[in-house]
Amino acid sequence: MTRFLQLTVNGLGNGAILALATLGFVLIYKATEVINFAQGQFLVIGSFVVYNANVTWGLPWPLAVVVGILAGILLGLAIERVILRRLVGESSLSVIMVTIGLASALFGIVLMTWGAEPKPSPKFIPSGSVKLFGDVSVGANRLWAVAVAVVVFVAVALFFQRSRHGVAMRAVADDQQAAMVQGISVNRIFAFAWALAGAAGAVGGVLLASINNGYSLELESFAILVFPVVILGGLDSVLGTVVGGMIIGLLVEYTKSYMNVNASQILPFVILVAILLVKPYGLFGQVRIERV
Amino acid sequence: MNRFARKLALVLSLALIVGAGCGKDNKNKSATKNSTAATKADIKVGAIFDLSGATADVGTPYSEGIRDYVEYRNAQGGIDGHKIAMTFQDFGYKVPQAEQLYQQYVSQGAKVFMGWGTGDTEALRPRVNTDKIPFMSASYAETLADPKVTPYNFFPGASYSQQMRIALQYISDQNKGKHVEVAVFHNDSPFGTSPLEDGKKYIADKKLNIGFKNYPMPAGATDYVAQIGQAKSQNAKYIIIQNVASPAAKLATNLAAQKSTAQVVCLNWCSDELFVKLAGPAAEKMIGVMPFSPPVEGVQGLDEINSFLKAKNSDAKAKGLHYVQGWYTMAVMSQGIENALKASGDNPTGEQIKAGLEKVTDFKTGVSDPITFTADYHAGLTSAPLFQVTGGVFKKIQDPIKIVK
Amino acid sequence: MATATGVYNTTYRRDLGLRHTKAEYARLALLGVFAVVLPFRLDTYWLSYVNLILLAGIAAVGLMILTGYTGLISLATAGFLGVGAYGTANITNRLHWPMPLGVLGGTVIAAAIGAVFGLPALRVKGLYLAISTFAAQAILNNRFKDWPWLTQGHFSILANQPKIGGHQIHSDFEWYWLLLVITALVVWAGVNLFRTGFGRALIAIRDQDIAAEVIGVPVGRYKVLAFSIACGLAGFSGALGAHYRTVVTWERYDFDTSFLFVAMIIVGGLGSVSGAIYGAAFMTWVPAYITRVGQGLQQGSSGTPFIIRELPAIQLALFGVVIVAFLLYEPRGLARLWQRAKDYFRIWPFRY
Repeated sequence: MTRFLQLTVNGLGNGAILALATLGFVLIYKATEVINFAQGQFLVIGSFVVYNANVTWGLPWPLAVVVGILAGILLGLAIERVILRRLVGESSLSVIMVTIGLASALFGIVLMTWGAEPKPSPKFIPSGSVKLFGDVSVGANRLWAVAVAVVVFVAVALFFQRSRHGVAMRAVADDQQAAMVQGISVNRIFAFAWALAGAAGAVGGVLLASINNGYSLELESFAILVFPVVILGGLDSVLGTVVGGMIIGLLVEYTKSYMNVNASQILPFVILVAILLVKPYGLFGQVRIERV
Repeated sequence: MNRFARKLALVLSLALIVGAGCGKDNKNKSATKNSTAATKADIKVGAIFDLSGATADVGTPYSEGIRDYVEYRNAQGGIDGHKIAMTFQDFGYKVPQAEQLYQQYVSQGAKVFMGWGTGDTEALRPRVNTDKIPFMSASYAETLADPKVTPYNFFPGASYSQQMRIALQYISDQNKGKHVEVAVFHNDSPFGTSPLEDGKKYIADKKLNIGFKNYPMPAGATDYVAQIGQAKSQNAKYIIIQNVASPAAKLATNLAAQKSTAQVVCLNWCSDELFVKLAGPAAEKMIGVMPFSPPVEGVQGLDEINSFLKAKNSDAKAKGLHYVQGWYTMAVMSQGIENALKASGDNPTGEQIKAGLEKVTDFKTGVSDPITFTADYHAGLTSAPLFQVTGGVFKKIQDPIKIVK
Repeated sequence: MATATGVYNTTYRRDLGLRHTKAEYARLALLGVFAVVLPFRLDTYWLSYVNLILLAGIAAVGLMILTGYTGLISLATAGFLGVGAYGTANITNRLHWPMPLGVLGGTVIAAAIGAVFGLPALRVKGLYLAISTFAAQAILNNRFKDWPWLTQGHFSILANQPKIGGHQIHSDFEWYWLLLVITALVVWAGVNLFRTGFGRALIAIRDQDIAAEVIGVPVGRYKVLAFSIACGLAGFSGALGAHYRTVVTWERYDFDTSFLFVAMIIVGGLGSVSGAIYGAAFMTWVPAYITRVGQGLQQGSSGTPFIIRELPAIQLALFGVVIVAFLLYEPRGLARLWQRAKDYFRIWPFRY
């Protein structure tokens, strides 16, 4: 039983991080219908900037995190302005390819600026273990991850429901032309979505660095799990991201322990294909009926 | 365009193609002419390093060690007067890139090749055999040491399987024959699985009282808590890690967080300074099987390196273990080339260099036992001492254990 | 597309023809001369690149049929290259069948598995389908890495060199002729495909699949068939590649390679088979060129240590930048650039 509880706690923690990492991806898709293959690099760059600010420049950690988030926002804005704005109207495949090329270019830039050696993990996130009920111990950094994720998601939900920009984003996601007719600047909304994705990437990246025990380039490969989460939850649903992230996080931990590691690597993708066959728009995605 | 212009364009393009073709040919001819002239011909060496891929953390200092040795040796006049001309490139642990670079360097006249990991070494194995290019890898997989399977592959250290046997023997001796469970955490790749079968066989052959279970560590995993849980149910008293430093450090941190009491034993690619740096306090008490000793107090063979690095405002300790490992890897290759030059004159072929390497006997490095290659075994060492991390520093706890197979 | 005005076709046969004017035939002849002269002029290093281009071209044509003509995005090309490679290696090693049968077997297995992974195309479209192929790639790559039965526990498996009529093919020069003929046939088959009703149905599916269903095209069946063809061609390329390289390792069949193939068809120009070949040549040549430039910088410069030290990073960044720049400035690819070049000469000295 202890083992099961331990795995559950761990899985939920991982799921929270996964949800944070996926949030940016979903935001971009929701607003612009673009699949951002460079999301993993947002995680890496955002977290490395925090490292730079915190360790190399010696800033206190709250300031360093703010710097990281700003860097993420700037990165998102720059990409949207310089590159994606020119691709409006091009086939979705071209846009996918641009984000892939971008991922490669960003990887090169990270390598150039910070080198390939992994950096020690952020000290400002406590990583000692905390004992929960009974024998179950969990890293404090995981609890922090869950807490931060909760805060971020509640903020995002409120933003979409209450604030003007949030409602405008939902309008653009629903029907771009109608939104333009209403006077919403679609370009600004796009920029906003990318900026938010960059910021979410920075936050997720730092938490991931703590759990990963170091800022390293391989943080980017964590982003592959974004796809099963997004299909399970629905490509354009923020709630789906949370639920999907939790489910995938839990399932991976259970499979890893009760079956073997190889199964746990394939499982998310098998689930992905199965969901696509059975319920293509995921648990909470918007259903666009087109039966062929 | 009128008819005349079109016909002219056609003729011109034909001429261009044929002309361009002839041009390329000449360039190649002139290139080869130059290299054989002058005093003593350079020895061409091709090398690939991982400076940006999955193993770049240990690949970068290793590459510096090799490149610096070449610089050092050339400053001393080269090998018997022949300068070493090394062309190298990062291949980011991407196998297709490794193949292209190999093709390129060999077509440019490289006589020997310094490779890196299991992935690229495996992929290049058939070609290296047909092309007869001695290939020195940083992969210590035991299959590469068998000349019947891979006649042109060499490596200077103790094979992973040998290190595993040493670790198992040590564990068995420490427990005086009582039954003990061992969990082996390994990289999820051929590099990681290399020593597993041989380890199990050793236990069976020597009738050691050890329970052996292996757990793969997949790339990109955020933690290994699930596997640790399984190891706990196995009641593992020892955890042997066959991986590179970063994932091993992550595992050590997870173990500490889970308040595990198991003793961590690292094979050579995770016993290094990077592991200590990344794992922090969790690195304490780690025992490392280290065929190449870390550049700490009391270790011999660092004088040359230190005097060379002084001019660059550094020393062996700052550069680290893998730098020293790279340095001596190139040194051993140079010894093999030297043997070939002495035996076969100024322009040794790949076969002759292979024979030269097989003649390397008791090559003293100081940081390891003397390195020997024979015609039957292409691994340089069969023994390794054990070090333990005490107060963040490696201290030797066991003289070299030699396992006779 | 005709490059001259005043071309009158008086029979259906002439109308359907691939070439219409003397100029086009002349260009074709030039290409033929070039192809025949090439191997005698290049050294083995560059010739091996040409062979790689020819191999990649086969898979690229398949992907072009699927994505460029049928409009279904596939990110799993590398996985099916692997299926073909492992298939032929196992068939020739374990069943001891001769190499052509091994290659055929690899192709068929890849086509079959391709049909299975194409089934989601019956339910989802567009980006969702792309993600499903992404999952297929992940699953296939994982199986290559972790399925002991496939490699019988070894790190890699060996494939043998082919024998044609008793003569062993082992040098790049000999491989060139084999690959040239095979690739030319594949390209010709691809171009011909779009002169048939099936090919036109695929284009209809890309443009307006609901309307296509309405006029009687069995959309679901053809979509799966298109997947089969593309994956079969990828398997064919992979199988040939396995015998060319004589060793099969799983690292080669990962996401990066899949992306490379998608880049090939986009840079080449979606919607033309020749674009697939241009794209294959470009994407194989550009990394090599960047490597060469980097090496040149390395040997030559001693005054810019930054560049030397950061070379791998610069090369990676440059690769991404090249793709992005290409897509920004000529999203319709190399085929379109070539078209514009031809038009320029046709209309000269007028501007349009």
